[in-house]
Amino acid sequence: MQAQEVAPTPGNAWMIGVVAWFIPGLGHALQKRWIRAALMGGAVWLSFFIGLQMGGHMFDLSAAEGSSTLLQVPPMIANIGTGALYIVSWLLGIGFADDPVQAARATYEYGNTFLLIAGLLNYLTMLDAFDIAAGRKP
Amino acid sequence: MCLFAALASVILGAMTKEDDRERWLYGVKVFAEFIVIGLALGWLLYFIPW
Repeated sequence: MQAQEVAPTPGNAWMIGVVAWFIPGLGHALQKRWIRAALMGGAVWLSFFIGLQMGGHMFDLSAAEGSSTLLQVPPMIANIGTGALYIVSWLLGIGFADDPVQAARATYEYGNTFLLIAGLLNYLTMLDAFDIAAGRKP
Repeated sequence: MCLFAALASVILGAMTKEDDRERWLYGVKVFAEFIVIGLALGWLLYFIPW
């Protein structure tokens, strides 16, 4: 039985992957996949801003009252998927408030979910852009 | 729920399958599944008292 030869991944694909993570949609746009960039990137941006508008909360390593830091890590990984959106929000302190008034909003949990999903969807978008750049996808 | 289903199905539809028609069909199918399963679970949980 012969092992299949695996084509090496071009360095450009890794750069596209990082860019696609950092700015949702840009990975596809750089490869002139305009419709994919608009659809996939647009869905991530929309999900993120809807989440913020609903009063959602993003996670970082600062533990909430009665919770451990370790429990913050999995949702934080999901939130970090939005790349620059997460970093800029973190630097500006937007979406990280965890006070009872905000948590009492009817849409608070929905907002959290939208913010988590925005990051997770961007991971998928990033992988898609990477695969296209690596020539594994038409 | 509809908004969430729409956003998720756009991405899942766009990144799978080979041609545009299949992508559309898959996106619509995923959207319908999100809605149907969401409603079914909602009603199921409504009748569970704890």
